[in-house]
Parts: sequence; C-alpha cells; structure tokens
Amino acid sequence: MLVRSAQGLYWMSRYLERARRLCRLLQLQTESLVDRPAREIHFGWSRIYASVNRNPPAGRIELLGSDDYTLADSYTLAGDLTFERSNPDSVWSCFDQGRENARQIRQSISTPMWTQLNLAYLRLQALEMPDIWAISPESFYADTVAQIDTFVGVAAATMYRGEGWRFMQLGRFIERAQLLAAVLVAQLTAEQEVEEASDADWTGLLRLCHAVEVYNRRFSVAVQPRQVLDLLVTDPRLPDSLGRSIDRAGEEIEAIGPGPDPDSSGALQRLAGRIGGVVHYQWPDHDDCHALLDQVRTHCYELHDRVATAYFDYAIEDAPAN
Amino acid sequence: MDFDTYELDPRVYDEMLLPDGAPREHCRPLVEALRRMSSEELSGVQERATRSFSHEGISFTVYGEAEAQERIIPIDCLPRLLSGADWKLIEAGLTQRLNALNLFLEDIYNEARIVADGVIPTDLIRGCPQFRIDMRGFSPPHGVWVAICGTDIVRTNDGFLVLEDNLRVPSGVSYMIANRKVIKAGLRRIYRAARVREVEHYGRLLQATLRELAPAGRSDPCIALLTPGVYNAAFYEHMFLAGEIGAELVEGRDLVVNDGVVYMRTTAGLRRVDVIYRRIDDDFLDPLVFRPDSLLGVPGLLHACRRGNVSVVNAPGTGVADDKSVYAYVPDMIRYYLSEDPILANVETHLCRRPEGLEYTLDNLERLVVKRVGGSGGYGMLVGPHATPAERAAYADEVRANPADFIAQPTLALSRSPCLIEGRFEPRHVDLRPFVLRGRQTRMVPGAFCRVALRRGSLVVNSSQGGGGKDLWVLND
Repeated sequence: MLVRSAQGLYWMSRYLERARRLCRLLQLQTESLVDRPAREIHFGWSRIYASVNRNPPAGRIELLGSDDYTLADSYTLAGDLTFERSNPDSVWSCFDQGRENARQIRQSISTPMWTQLNLAYLRLQALEMPDIWAISPESFYADTVAQIDTFVGVAAATMYRGEGWRFMQLGRFIERAQLLAAVLVAQLTAEQEVEEASDADWTGLLRLCHAVEVYNRRFSVAVQPRQVLDLLVTDPRLPDSLGRSIDRAGEEIEAIGPGPDPDSSGALQRLAGRIGGVVHYQWPDHDDCHALLDQVRTHCYELHDRVATAYFDYAIEDAPAN
Repeated sequence: MDFDTYELDPRVYDEMLLPDGAPREHCRPLVEALRRMSSEELSGVQERATRSFSHEGISFTVYGEAEAQERIIPIDCLPRLLSGADWKLIEAGLTQRLNALNLFLEDIYNEARIVADGVIPTDLIRGCPQFRIDMRGFSPPHGVWVAICGTDIVRTNDGFLVLEDNLRVPSGVSYMIANRKVIKAGLRRIYRAARVREVEHYGRLLQATLRELAPAGRSDPCIALLTPGVYNAAFYEHMFLAGEIGAELVEGRDLVVNDGVVYMRTTAGLRRVDVIYRRIDDDFLDPLVFRPDSLLGVPGLLHACRRGNVSVVNAPGTGVADDKSVYAYVPDMIRYYLSEDPILANVETHLCRRPEGLEYTLDNLERLVVKRVGGSGGYGMLVGPHATPAERAAYADEVRANPADFIAQPTLALSRSPCLIEGRFEPRHVDLRPFVLRGRQTRMVPGAFCRVALRRGSLVVNSSQGGGGKDLWVLND
C-alpha cells in the first residue's frame, strides 16, 4: 500500500489511542475531585504529568492543604491537558492530529469511519473548558472515550482487513503499550518520590485498564501492588495489558511482512520478539519492576523507529522496483 | 404545488414548460406528479438532500480574499429533464467535437498541417500560454490527448450551443453522481416512473478508458489519480473518483521517476505506475519542465511520459485546445479534419486580437459578455448588460491594453428551468456539463452536471459564484 496512506492510518490510530488513554486518566482524576483527599488528588496529577512526560503549567504541582487550591489547580491542569492548543499531547491536539491524518487519507477508511470521527471532532470543536467543568468533567471525558470506542467499533465492522487495517492496529498497540508502560513507570516513580501510595492509587490503575473485576475475582479485594502489576503487565486476556499490546503489535508486524529492505525488517521483527521476551519470560522472576518497565518503554520507542525505517522512510535506492 | 404564478418569457427557452404554460411532452408526468405534491413535501426533499451533502462532506473549496472556505454546493430538488432525442444530438455532437479536438492536438504538436493550410493562424497557437513546446513530436497512445472532457452546453430558443470545452482537468462529475443519489432517494416514486437512464456506472467507464490508454505491453496497468492534495477545491471529487476506479490517490511526493519510469512509494517498495489520471494543471506537473517552484508535481514525469513509459491523462498541453480564442476555430477544425458539418454550434465569438473583433466588442459592450482568454470559473468576466457604465468603461480600458487576452460573445438567453425557491416554483438559468470519455472508443453516461444560477436573473452558473446544482434526467423516448 502507498506509504503515505499507511503512515496516515498508523498515526491516526496512534493519536486517537493517545487521546483515549488521556481521557481515561482525566476521567478517573476528575472523579476523584469529588470525594478524595487532597493528597490523593495531588498524587494523581503527578502521575498523569509524569506519564505524558510534560511539565505542569506552573512548573511543578504543589501539595497544598486547602481544598480550594486543589480544585483551582485541578481546573488549570485539566485545561492544560484537554483544550490547550499549544500542548501537542492535549486531548484537543490529539483529536486534531488524528482527524487531519484521516482527512488526508480519507479514501483509505470507510465512510462510516470518517463520519463518526468527523462528528466527534466537531463536538470537541464546539466545547471549552468552562462548558465541561460547569456540569460534570468526568462525563465529558467518559463521552469522549465512548466516541473513540465507537470509532474503533465502526472500523472493526466496516474496514477491509488489508494492509491499511494492519497499520492501524499496529499504531494502536504500539501506542497502547508505550502509554501503559509510561503510566506504570510514573506510578512507581511517584510512589518513590512522594510517599507510600494508597490502595486507591493502585485501584485507580486497575480501573484505568478496566481490570478491577477480574482482579477481584482472581486475587482478592485487598490490593497487592505486585499482583496489580502482574495482571496489568502479563495477562494475555486483558485488552489493555502490556503483554497483550506487545503481542498484538508483533502479530501485525508479522502479518504485514517484510518491507523493502530485508535488514531493517529483520531488525524490526527481532525487536518485537525481544520486548515480548521481557514481558513474558523476564518479568515473572524479576524483582526490579521499575527497571524492566523502563526497558519496555524504551524498547517501545525503538519499535516505532524501526517500523518507520522498515516501511516508511526507507531509502529509495535500496528499494526493489516491481 | 402548481405553476400558476410561474413566470414564462417567450424570449427564453423553458426546460419544462411550453410558452403557453403547458408541460413539454417529455415533462408531462413530472409536472403532474409535482402538482400532486405539497410545498412542504418538496421542501423536505430539498432539506434532506442538503443535509446529506453536509454530513458526507460533499463540498468544494472557495478561495476568496480571506481564507479558504469549505462550502456545500446548493442543490435544487427539481430535476431537469432531457428527452432521448435531445440527448442523442448532444452525444453525437460531443463525440464529433472531441474527435476533432484530439486530431487537432495530434496535428499541432506534430506536423501542424492545419496551420500550414492557413485554417488557424500560427501566432494564435504560438502565443497561447497553454501551448507546450516541450510536447512537440509527442504522440499519446491511440492519439488520445484528451481522454476526459467536460463540455459546457447551453440551450437558447435556437437550440443547443457549446459554451466551452474543458480539456484540462474538468471537474463536476462527482456532483452529477451525488445529485443523482440524493434526488433519487428524495423523489423515489417519480424517479421510478420516469424511467431515467442511469449515470452511476461512470466509474466503470472511466476505468475502462484509462486501462485502454496504458502504455503498450502493460496489460494489467497500475492506475493512480494524482491530486494536488487535501487543500484543493475539488479534493472530494479526487477521493471519490479514486475509489470508483480502484486507483491509488497519490500526491506528487508519493511518486518518483527512476530511469524514465514512474513509481509510487509503497510499504513493500517501489511499484510501477502505468497510467496517471492527473488532476493537477500542466504548470504544476513537473518542476523540471514547467514551473520550477511547484511542490505538487513529480520531477521527471514529463520525460517518462514522452518516453511512453507512463500515460498521463489528459496529456500535458491539451489546454491549447480549450483556449477561449482557439475555441472560435473548433467548427473549422471539424470541417478540416472530419469533413463534416458541426452537429453542435459554437456561440458566436469575437476575438479582440483581430481589429474588427476589438472594434465590435468596444462598440457593443453593453450587449456582450467579455471573457479573459485564460480565465475560468466565471472570474474576471464582464456581463455587459448587468454591469454599470463605470464598470464597462474600466473593463474597456483593460481590453484596449491587451486585446489578445479577451474575447466577446453575445449575452445569451440561457434556458431556464423551474427551481424550488422559498416554497415556490421560480425559473432560473441553467447549463449542463456532460462528460465524454475517449479511450479506444468514446464512452458517455447519459447525464451531466447541471449547473443553475440560483440568484434571480443571474446568468453565472459557476459554483464559486453562487451557482448550484440540479439532477439531470435523460429519459428514454
């Protein structure tokens, strides 16, 4: 398939996954504003900013005792992550980028996909921070997640399972793996820096990945951090787990097959295998979760670079003509 | 709804009604069906059609003084009907015309017999900016320079007239199909009873045409549609047509020329491209030959085309044949190359490059439409009867300064067709743009993009100037 189309689908998918994950984080965070103590809210914001690798508008987030400050700060922070045009990772920017990629390769996606994405985009265009804050920010984020999920569902129902579909999936799962690794690293880092994380902080991670029920069934209602991590990292049936995302990315690479240059394709496949190895074989017997997750996150960045070299940015001189 | 207050003018041909108010024979069932419908019912059809365009993003871009704007082409829900006999005439006339135009292009880029024989003046060709000196000595597959042509036709009380040939990158065919889709859905029963001839297979005919024009020996050709990109006014159409013909929609940056062969960059390496249906003007096609600052084109494309390794459709250089001055000579071309009389007439045209033409134009400005030779889209023209004396005087100065840049034509009483305007039937001026395809044979779908000047009294049908669209129904007799 045309490189530009493959790239467009890959990036569209990555941006929408990024918007979705950020909305999920913000949904849980704004829910916590209703009834959680200031310390926990502070912990939540630190974790979000660390996971998107961004500095908060004021440089750092202060832990202040007063509820008023916490809420005022939260409004600013949520605005920075949601509608801030200059923040390339804000929900607004991710949507804008996702739709722009889709628009340029509109002939490669189905009409229902385009319509769904366009309607979601237009809704976001018409809103501003005071609108969502006045009523219920958490329902705004929940609705946005639902619209992205609908898009993914419409895609699953209508899109031809060709190479374009594969690149879309590949983008989604690389993004998902990278983001979850980042959130988990942020959790462990924030925990080290601040103080002992509470049960609620760990339950928040489970909720983020829709894993509360399965955790309660498999383990117990009492939360054990290592068990939470094991579930989120290795469970092959959990849609959001790191292991599943990495395996799915590997399957898509396998299905797409080699790019024009056999060397870079080989390197890409080996790397996908290596990340899978870390998650499936090293993780269970390893104590330093932080170090392993860091490694996975770095590998994910590298995986993206190798995808780009193998399929998108290959040198024309090296490419066989057929 | 009734036609009681509908205004008829014997000087202007009405597409639906006779001067005495009775329906034309082929329109009788439609008029009767419309009489049985309420104004609300018809307005509902209109609203649903417009909404459907908006949701699907069937739009075009207007470049005004400020920034580009996405707009929906307004659609009028009353179809314009053409009888089978009328269509037969148009079909034969356009086929004849396109044959002559292709022979003309092959001739002037090679032997130039028509110039040597004194039928067309040399300086007219040489002075035309669309004459591409780099194409001399070139001959495309089957001698087809123009494979896709969209000719603007108007009707007056004297019959059909060809207003202009669009031989470069004519657009509008996607609106023909989009209009049909929404009107068919809105007027289901009327449509079925009318036994309208279909237009939706245009994509199949276009694909067959493009395949026939592939370079020799490329039996299963790879076709690409070359677009300037998402910011182009007609991007929707490019995307739509690429889907219809199963072609990759490519931009210049997706293509590379290697050793005189064109390839597109795919995820599995370079893939050879055999036919390029280009929707980019000549000027931007190849920065090595035409405009060096063009970022839209493909360096080396013209070389590959000249070597016969890729077919560029329409071929570069066809613009010389739809120049507004050269247009005046098309009837002569038909007689010269085909030894036939033109089936469809031209509009009487005065070339300001000729002293007598200039004099006539300046003396009769208040009765004429004056156009720039290289203009398009209805921009930069003067509609004499509708202009103020000051506007006419200013325009006359421009004509005097560069007479060769202008032509003048009589202000035509373009035919009118009923439109639904604020819940009433009102006449509005219309034209039609049928599309002719030419590969090894000529192909046409029985239909056209019918444009309508929605502003009361306006003669300008261009979408960029307040024009809208109508579905056009060609009937079986």
